[in-house]
Amino acid sequence: MSDALLNVENLKVEYITGDSTTVAAVDNVSFSIKPGESLGLAGESGCGKSTIAYSLMRLHKPPALITNGKIVMNGKDVLNMNKKELQQFRWQETSMVFQSAMNCLNPVVTMEKQFFEIYKYHGVTKNKKEAIKLSEKLLSIVGIPAERLKDYPHQFSGGMRQRAVIAMALALNPKLLILDEPTTALDTVVQRDIIQRIFKLQKEYGFAILFITHDISLMMEFCDSVAVMYAGRIIEQGKSLMMLKEPKHPYTYGLKNSFPSLQGPLSHMEGIKGNPLNLKNIPQGCRFQDRCFRVCDKCRQIEPPKVEHTDGFFYCHDQLAYDKGGKLHE
Amino acid sequence: MKYILKRLSFYIVAFVAAITLNFFLPRFMPGDPVQMFIGDLYQSGGKIDEATIRAVEEMFGYNTDEPLIVTYFKYVGGIFTGDWGLSFKYYPQTVTDAISRGLGWTLFLMGTSLVLGFIINSLLGILVAWRRGGKMDTGVTVTSQILANIPAVVTALILSLSLGHTGLLPTGYAVTPLYFPATQWDYIKDVIYHAILPVSCILITGLGGVMGMRANMINQLGEDYITMGIAKGVPQHKIMIGYSARNALLPVVTSLAMQVGFLLGGSLIIEQVFNYPGLGTVMVNAINGRDYPLMQGILLMSTTLMLTANFLADIAILFLDPRIRRQK
Amino acid sequence: MKKIINFLKGSPKTTVGLIMLIVTLVMTMGAPLFTNYDPIERFEGKYQEAPSEEHILGTTQLGRDVFSQTLHGGRKSISVGFFAGTIAVTLSLILGISAGYFGGVYDSIVSSIINVVMVIPNIVLLLIIASLLGGISPFLICIIIGFTSWPWNARVLRAQTMSIRSREFIYSAETLGESKLRILLVEIMPNMLSIISSSFVSTIIYAIMAHATLEFIGFGDPLSVTWGTMLYNAQTSGAMISGAWWEIAGPIGGLLLIGISLTLINFSIDEISNPKLRVQRFMRIYYKRQKKQLKENGRRS
Repeated sequence: MSDALLNVENLKVEYITGDSTTVAAVDNVSFSIKPGESLGLAGESGCGKSTIAYSLMRLHKPPALITNGKIVMNGKDVLNMNKKELQQFRWQETSMVFQSAMNCLNPVVTMEKQFFEIYKYHGVTKNKKEAIKLSEKLLSIVGIPAERLKDYPHQFSGGMRQRAVIAMALALNPKLLILDEPTTALDTVVQRDIIQRIFKLQKEYGFAILFITHDISLMMEFCDSVAVMYAGRIIEQGKSLMMLKEPKHPYTYGLKNSFPSLQGPLSHMEGIKGNPLNLKNIPQGCRFQDRCFRVCDKCRQIEPPKVEHTDGFFYCHDQLAYDKGGKLHE
Repeated sequence: MKYILKRLSFYIVAFVAAITLNFFLPRFMPGDPVQMFIGDLYQSGGKIDEATIRAVEEMFGYNTDEPLIVTYFKYVGGIFTGDWGLSFKYYPQTVTDAISRGLGWTLFLMGTSLVLGFIINSLLGILVAWRRGGKMDTGVTVTSQILANIPAVVTALILSLSLGHTGLLPTGYAVTPLYFPATQWDYIKDVIYHAILPVSCILITGLGGVMGMRANMINQLGEDYITMGIAKGVPQHKIMIGYSARNALLPVVTSLAMQVGFLLGGSLIIEQVFNYPGLGTVMVNAINGRDYPLMQGILLMSTTLMLTANFLADIAILFLDPRIRRQK
Repeated sequence: MKKIINFLKGSPKTTVGLIMLIVTLVMTMGAPLFTNYDPIERFEGKYQEAPSEEHILGTTQLGRDVFSQTLHGGRKSISVGFFAGTIAVTLSLILGISAGYFGGVYDSIVSSIINVVMVIPNIVLLLIIASLLGGISPFLICIIIGFTSWPWNARVLRAQTMSIRSREFIYSAETLGESKLRILLVEIMPNMLSIISSSFVSTIIYAIMAHATLEFIGFGDPLSVTWGTMLYNAQTSGAMISGAWWEIAGPIGGLLLIGISLTLINFSIDEISNPKLRVQRFMRIYYKRQKKQLKENGRRS
């Protein structure tokens, strides 16, 4: 584990709710990312994947609290940083492309200034002209003409804004780039273009990626490995190819089949029955029991243990098995 | 440019509507208002002669041969050319003369309290929104809302009785009577000293603005660009001022202009309590002397102030918000 | 019942506001139960006397009992405010909701009326109309305040109606062929209950205060006893200069009580109807835990 860039151990993030109880949106989650590696984090909305992304930079908003665990980035304990260290750590070591690029630029400030801020507060340059030169270079990487720097965000189209945000995210050469559903607001064609661009840049600059989306087929196509979350926990993690062909957990199987694959023939699609688990009401045993098509008595009583194998790990009493042709054993 | 023209045409329409209201109100009053008015005027010690009677009759639309519509257009034209009629009470002074005596002082009170109030309300709103739900938040929001709901009369009377009667602060007039200051600076000091109580009263009645700023701030703090700013490593105070407050102020500027009318109403009453020689005092004198043209003039003047404030706010927004600026 | 008690326990604002309101209402509406003096009875030789056992709040310059005047006067002030508020809210309901719902030419006419009336300073307009009518009765004051103070609410209600109107359940009701009146009354109105009730409360506050202000300037019926005329009489009789604070203590206390209690009640209406505001309540718990955590972290590092 010592060669990992990011190491998250037993992370627990709780939300304080109305009746002064707490709800654990992220419960005992551990994972790590090596330098230059890309990890995808998948799951239904509300499963805690965005909460993880935000807490990695300590951006979680009240009433969320990190109540347990450790986040070590590049050898530094993120949860123990003081205000100044934290401010330097953000963007310099980890940067993020947000879900809604439409709204994540300050509407009353020119792009030029918004780029300049990054350089100014991280001590790169106090000279505005120099900053503009650097920003122009970044914009050309994402294919935006340099003269657009003088514009305000509302003069950009949605796709352009998203590309501008990506350029900003790369400004300080971060070691880890978090993509929090970066393309949900865009149409499919632009979506693919942007994702491809980012992963091309990754090869060039060698940063690591944490890619968060509910579109699991997109993720399996681009990421080295994939982790699947359900109700605040990672329930299966493994190499992309394995996760795509032979997922061991019924939930991963269901999630994979509820999205059309972008390549290859259109195959049978099925959803997962039921609704996401209410975190205020966690049952005994496996968290997925009520929605699982293979549920048995054991699942209702004992929490499944971690099962490790060569390509990853999962938590299930009754793992899925496949025959040689890759078909599911009934 | 189109934006300014659009706003400007609305203001002209509003102003003409106010003039129209002014013109028709006395003409649609029930009974025989001319007799009642002259009687009232007589009782309140006004001079009654041929000219006043004719003026009263003209105001109520009697004793003229020309059709109503012609009179109306003459009236509107007169207003725009600065002919606001003659005052009954201060006859033969014109309405504009009588108003201009008080206008300066009222503008001084209003201007001072608008600027101070804007600063105080915004700062309080920003602070409270930043720590929303905390003890200070509850305290400040409840107190400011209550104080804003208490009418200007009550605030003014309480301040005048409590602070004024300790002798610390003057409870009347804009300057010390029969005082001839040696230097200009002494005069300014005296004016400020006399303005403290009235200005504080207007500030208190305007405290409702805290709630508006707070609500806007909370809305802005939930926006994604704030999170992105924090993620970029922008220091906290810059986020508070440059990011959220900068955007939250935009709607406040507009509502501040709408508030001018409310504050003006309060200010007129407060002037009365503190014997301040502004428009409020002119107005109460006009009311007591049944000087109707003067009251009409004051209504028009206050509407004009309101519209000017709104127009200034529109221009300010134009400079502050690039989204409107480019909307050509 | 239990639910109500629990709610009151969790919201001190509501409890305090309700108690203050009930006290004020009982004292004023049941004035004869709490004082034996007639508010206009003159006690000879007792002119502008300071509070004593006999006259709890002293006497006025004309020798009238201030306490009795306060209770009896409050009755009138509060009822005038209540009725004027009702008129204003009814007008703003009719105009605001219909403009928001029907849209088109009708809406642009109504909203330009709203905009124009809003730029004419309210108090000044009130004074002008009052002075044209000469001395005016509480009934007329009711009407005038009611008819001049509706635009603010109408504007809010219009905007709210427009946003509800564009929601799906209204479309579905329209496609089902429900009548417009039914959609307005059954589908739209219930969704705005909280806004309607909080604007009702704030209009009542405004009307009571505007009434007092008008009378303070000198537009009341000098023979009727209200909080406004009491202030007017105190001001004209020089109570302020001679330091007879008790003469204004009664009406001011009454106005403060009713203003504070209704404001607090308005806060709790907002709290009940707006779930976003309820979030605020557990923010306090959040701050506590955050503080604790910071301490622990400090020890660690």
